[in-house]
Amino acid sequence: MNSNSTPSAAPPVARLIEAFNRLPGVGPKSAQRLTYYMIRMPREEAEALAEAVISVKDRIVLCSKCLNITEEPVCPVCTNERRDRTRICVVEEPLDVLAIERTRAYDGLYHVLHGSISPVNGIGAEQLKIRELLDRLRDETVTELILATNPNLEGEATSMYLQRLISPLGIKVTRLARGLSSGADLEYADEMTLANALEGRSEIARNDEPAAG
Amino acid sequence: MVSSRPRLFTTEAVVLRHSDLGEADRLLWLLTPQRGVIRATARGARKPGSKLGGHIDLLCHVKLSMREGRELHGVSQADTVDAFRAMRTDIGRLSRGLYMAELAQRVSVEDAPAPAVFRLLVNSLGWLATTENADTLVRWFALRLLTITGFKPEFGACAECGDELEPADHVFSAERGGLVCPRCRSQGSDVLQPASLGTIKVLRHLARSDFPAVSSLNIGSEERRQIERILRSHTNSVIDRGVRSSAFLDEVRDWPEVGPVPGGMRAD
Ligand SMILES: [Zn+2]
Ligand SMILES: [Zn+2]
Repeated sequence: MNSNSTPSAAPPVARLIEAFNRLPGVGPKSAQRLTYYMIRMPREEAEALAEAVISVKDRIVLCSKCLNITEEPVCPVCTNERRDRTRICVVEEPLDVLAIERTRAYDGLYHVLHGSISPVNGIGAEQLKIRELLDRLRDETVTELILATNPNLEGEATSMYLQRLISPLGIKVTRLARGLSSGADLEYADEMTLANALEGRSEIARNDEPAAG
Repeated sequence: MVSSRPRLFTTEAVVLRHSDLGEADRLLWLLTPQRGVIRATARGARKPGSKLGGHIDLLCHVKLSMREGRELHGVSQADTVDAFRAMRTDIGRLSRGLYMAELAQRVSVEDAPAPAVFRLLVNSLGWLATTENADTLVRWFALRLLTITGFKPEFGACAECGDELEPADHVFSAERGGLVCPRCRSQGSDVLQPASLGTIKVLRHLARSDFPAVSSLNIGSEERRQIERILRSHTNSVIDRGVRSSAFLDEVRDWPEVGPVPGGMRAD
């Protein structure tokens, strides 16, 4: 949190500690540990790390269509001819794309909002990539929009907001089923998760459509 | 390592604000009755299947078991008292809930008991889930909150000279903290908001009543506009740099209610 935790460190050391400390999830203790680890690092290794950081900054751009992070002007998903161009799955962050891709259960396109509506933190719809999404919906042949925002209040607010904007366009809007996560004990489930799981329950007599979650 | 075992305590709380912390943890700003606003970490709360995660979403009323910390407490167990579900599925209600929670946070002090503010917020979130008159609720809430925390606007007498006000139209000065009489009006260069006799009557009624008594109050559109300006200017004079969530509230205020998105919330 503060730089006075290392009063006696030499300026270059203090500078690196401070730089680490600014990273998400790195506290003053971890920042010190990482710094002293790097002091002992072979020069080549340190250079490779520095180069990797710089090349991420230089070479990674946002895909001009889906706004996922990529090395090309248009990302591999958007250029892939075999992907279903009638569906767009809307997610909050690039990492969410990776998570959905890992399931191999989805072959449509994506749109990355880069955040969620968070009024208390002063983040409104205009700070998200919503205008870009609306442009895509006008240009392209999309028939279904899948809202895959996080199942929390801000994600829900974002979904409701998008639904409101998009429903007049005549595009089908769906969202991921909310329910119990696999491996979780029912007794620990919160009221909302349980209620949503009950409301979203599915028939098990038919075998063609396995229940989600 | 600390040699002594951490002290444990349990508390009710409303989650006012959160941010991501580390890989899968969450940092929470909580309003509690006995300690006012406190900050706490919830380990692993962002992982699916976390025993904590689902309970400690924004605007949830929860019961928590906590490990005492110096600056940050640690949540060890969470149970939902009320998640106000009907508020969450309507963006208009939700935007008002966030606004009320931000107001409560911004006028509260860390680690100072605030049982009245806590009760007020919990009750108001409950009413918000069902009321047909969400705007009146937000106005009533703001007035009550400012009164409890010592920022009560003066609607009875002139805020400047203390003279009784004639039953007539007057003006409101956020800078002077209330209505001002015709004589004091011309002194000073502060921004004045018009307050008609009708507006003043409604404000006095809101200030002395409980919400159920005013929930079906029919307020004329001109009075509504004046009350909104008066309360906003007063709130902004109390809260530095304004209320962040008011922009969102204003944006979705007049949206018609939309049903939940198909796919999970409803089976039919
Ligand atoms: Zn792309
Ligand atoms: Zn006066």
